[in-house]
Amino acid sequence: MPVSARGISPCIDLRGRAVIALAAVLSAPWCLQAQEADTLAAASVYSVQVFPVVRPSEEVYLPGVTAPPAQVADVLRRFIGVQVKDYGGVGGLKTVNVRSLGSEHVGVFLDGVQVDTAQNMQVDLGRFSVDGVGLISLYNGQKTRRLQTAKEYASGASVHLESERPLLVDKDGGRVRLRGGSFGTFNPSLQWDRELGPVLLRVSAEGLTSSGKYKFPFFDTTLVRENGDIRSLRLESALFGRLRRGEWRLRGYGYGSERGFPGPVIRRASGFPFSAERQADRNLFLQGGWQEDWTSRYATSVRFKYADDYIHYDTHPEKNPMALPYDLHYHQRSGYLSLAQSFVLADPWSVDLSTDVQRNALDSDAGQSVTPRRTVFTGALASRLAWERIRLAAHLVYQGAWDGFLTPEAGGWSRENTFRDAWMPSFSLYYAPFRWLEMDGFLKRSYRLPSFNDLYYSQMGNSALVPESAVQAGIDLRFRHASGPWSWEGRLSPYRNRVSDKIVAIPTSSQFRWTMLNIGRVDVTGVDIRAEGRFHRQDWRLEAVLRYSFQQALDHSDPDGGTYGNQIPYIPLHSGGCDLRAGWRDWSFSWDTVVTGERWSRTANTADYRIAPWTVTDASLSRTIRWPASGSRAKMPELEAGVVVRNVFDRPYQVVQGYPMPGRSLMLSVTYSW
Amino acid sequence: MKKAMLLWLCGALAFCACRKDPVPEPPSKDADLSGQKVDVSGFPESVRKVFVLNEGGMGSNNATLDFLRVPEGQYVTGAFRKMNPSVGAGLGDVGNDIAVHGDEVWMVINNSGLVEVVSAKDETEIAAIQVPTPRFLAFDESYAYVTSWAGAYATGSYDENGYYSVTDSKNPKGQVYRIDLSTKKVDGSVEVGYQPEGIAVYDGKLYVANSGGISSQLPPDYAYDNTVSIIDTKRFKVTATIPVQVNLKNVYSDGKGNIYVTTLGDYWSVHSGLYRINASLEVSKVADYVSVSTLLGDTVYCIGTDSEFDWSASHVYKGWSVQGGNKKDWTLNVTATTLYSLYALDADTFFVGDAGDYFNPGTVSCYGKDGLRWSVDAGVCPGHFAVY
Repeated sequence: MPVSARGISPCIDLRGRAVIALAAVLSAPWCLQAQEADTLAAASVYSVQVFPVVRPSEEVYLPGVTAPPAQVADVLRRFIGVQVKDYGGVGGLKTVNVRSLGSEHVGVFLDGVQVDTAQNMQVDLGRFSVDGVGLISLYNGQKTRRLQTAKEYASGASVHLESERPLLVDKDGGRVRLRGGSFGTFNPSLQWDRELGPVLLRVSAEGLTSSGKYKFPFFDTTLVRENGDIRSLRLESALFGRLRRGEWRLRGYGYGSERGFPGPVIRRASGFPFSAERQADRNLFLQGGWQEDWTSRYATSVRFKYADDYIHYDTHPEKNPMALPYDLHYHQRSGYLSLAQSFVLADPWSVDLSTDVQRNALDSDAGQSVTPRRTVFTGALASRLAWERIRLAAHLVYQGAWDGFLTPEAGGWSRENTFRDAWMPSFSLYYAPFRWLEMDGFLKRSYRLPSFNDLYYSQMGNSALVPESAVQAGIDLRFRHASGPWSWEGRLSPYRNRVSDKIVAIPTSSQFRWTMLNIGRVDVTGVDIRAEGRFHRQDWRLEAVLRYSFQQALDHSDPDGGTYGNQIPYIPLHSGGCDLRAGWRDWSFSWDTVVTGERWSRTANTADYRIAPWTVTDASLSRTIRWPASGSRAKMPELEAGVVVRNVFDRPYQVVQGYPMPGRSLMLSVTYSW
Repeated sequence: MKKAMLLWLCGALAFCACRKDPVPEPPSKDADLSGQKVDVSGFPESVRKVFVLNEGGMGSNNATLDFLRVPEGQYVTGAFRKMNPSVGAGLGDVGNDIAVHGDEVWMVINNSGLVEVVSAKDETEIAAIQVPTPRFLAFDESYAYVTSWAGAYATGSYDENGYYSVTDSKNPKGQVYRIDLSTKKVDGSVEVGYQPEGIAVYDGKLYVANSGGISSQLPPDYAYDNTVSIIDTKRFKVTATIPVQVNLKNVYSDGKGNIYVTTLGDYWSVHSGLYRINASLEVSKVADYVSVSTLLGDTVYCIGTDSEFDWSASHVYKGWSVQGGNKKDWTLNVTATTLYSLYALDADTFFVGDAGDYFNPGTVSCYGKDGLRWSVDAGVCPGHFAVY
């Protein structure tokens, strides 16, 4: 958390000295690889509290990005080892896989609280606005910080979104952003901050409308993607409080959307549309956290969330005679409470105990009246030793889930209960033999519960499905060098994963319903390579990042099976990309290329199921103008105008077979902040 | 009568002429297609091709047409795409039924909304007829009849708490569409039960199995249909609807007045099975456990397992047959990962489709009296067979 409670970003260099990098974050958006340290309000600090055992694999400090992307998914898809499954369009589903672990293994956390649905265990990253998000970080292995929630220890890989604490210079401040362009997209947003004594209030609102129409090649013709429109509104307010030895946060969130699913592109009789499916969502949640350092040795963090989510899915057979007639409603409520405690037993040794309990209830008219209820207890015990150059951590996580559901029986329904539990151990270590070399490694077993869809909704579920477990081992080698205006950083990360009973979700005729498949065992061998160079002198700022990822994810389920030893679906053997950023005075320019090598949509790696490699490039240009502050105000008003061109070379491509992605598109944005 | 006689004579003469002075038939356009060699010794001489329709995965647009060219014993895959490059999208999404009529192969491409007609000689497209959610088809002299799920839906409203309740459960029924064989155009439809599946023609009547496969998942009743609709082909109207069992699937006519109907069961209390409707429309159960079935002449062959509700069990499949309403012993030593389809070429030669994991290409196997003769790689979910 580089943005500490004071609104400054302490960077920890290898010597462990805190470097105040406020200016760097505010004025130099290039310092995106913000260094990390835990937020500490306590005056006396033990080294075990300062040194994070491992660093994230990738990290972006969003407020520092000029012409930021509209969605979190746009940031993640450039991360190494990450594959964003994008079904195309502004409202299209976007889920994330990390190192061949399915999206259900990838926890997405907002301020430490997992964003999840027991219904399908997948998070649509297309719904996360970047507004109000500070830091986005990816952990391939085990995040291990003080006062984590227990669930943060329990995911195979994790994406963490930290909300940005308002940086107020005056009593109040705000930001208006208007964004719009291709696909009839209009995306206005407003954010207003106010100091209320010791408390900061942030109120924000964001709307989005888009027709979602774009042309795509369909064999020898060109068609227009229809029924991909979306309307959404997000209203949010948050309070940020400071205590003498701690802090608290409270956030209320409301989101509503109504969108169409354009459906897969298939051969379809000309008189029938591809799809008339619509989905309306309403998500409400209240989330809060309170962290207190009771003594210099003992600290607690309490977090809670109550969420109420509602989905209405309708295939509209009256508009599309090809539709299967589904008109379904899902109402899910979940409550979550977490207590994390951290003890410094004897510096540099600390022990953390985190305990979470979560209750999910799903009511739906889908299938039959199964009405599943789930109570999950997660407990994590973590032990850390952190010297400056050597750091060790061991974690043991226990997760137990009680499910209650109705099951059909002769003459009626009976309530049944099942219990599933798992132990998940993991180890992390860090060693910095030289100033220019850091090494860390991890070994971890994780497990994911089958979702309600997997288990109880037979039209899409599979009652024979077994839970998926993953054993991961990985090493990171980080090199760095700086001289004068230049700085360099390199990372080499080999890893091996074994996923047993891997569940692969394959879209059926609609994005809403999935076919689930246990591919059995998958062995993943991969390496992530990342190189970054930076130059910063006077008016000039240059940054280049190169990424390459090798992922061999082989089906090792059945030695007698026809697909034994083949690459599993949708995982490219080679992928990578580059980001180039340049700044001169108040101008900024960026150029991002993402490359995905050939893939297959089936475990049968034959020509019929080959998905062609693709390369897509986005570019942006923006300018920031500042005016002198007026009157009693200290903050200089700022206007940023930018243009983002996506898919610059207008290349047709598909991330998911049957879901063509948009060609070249243009988005203009104007942001005024005061 | 004279006319008929004359026609017969002409035919006979033409036949004789052919025999005396054989004009070599021009090589079929698909003669260049080759595939895996298989042993076809002992196959009936009248069989020129065995067509296999691979269903593909829903939404994956990967239905494919394979065929076994019997004289040479070549199993050719993906023939539709190879012979019809101008149909860029290929055969389409979810092949659900196939039948040969004269020199034509008719295929039902469910999620493409098409009934695809190709030449049996060379698989080139003759017509693609638009029918909403078509399922199965049958023929009489002048028409093809296609069952369709079109147009079913239920509606409801929300109370002030956002809870949903059904106010109007329309859930309308499916249709049987009639296609004129000469013009290849839809020429009317008739409403039947919920989500109609299999269809058979016998003696001027259509027998349609209504499944209710969708209505079983929809409020308010979550109930399967359990009826067979009988349609008079002359008036093209439903003349009788008789209850048989829930979730009906295939319909077979033995040509002697017996109609056989399979049910998939309800997956938890009613087992799959085979029912018989006799000439006086009396319904009787033949036996339980039908995973796959097929008709040869007047005999229906079935393979099933009594552990069908236990998804995790390894199943032991047992075969049996029925002729004239009487169950008979019949065995076929089938080994399949996912037994998906069965077809009888003659009483000694059977084809079995194995869907594997339903996701990757499956296999087609040929079984004789002595067991497995050969297996070939087919497409995804090899589900339907037809003989030319």
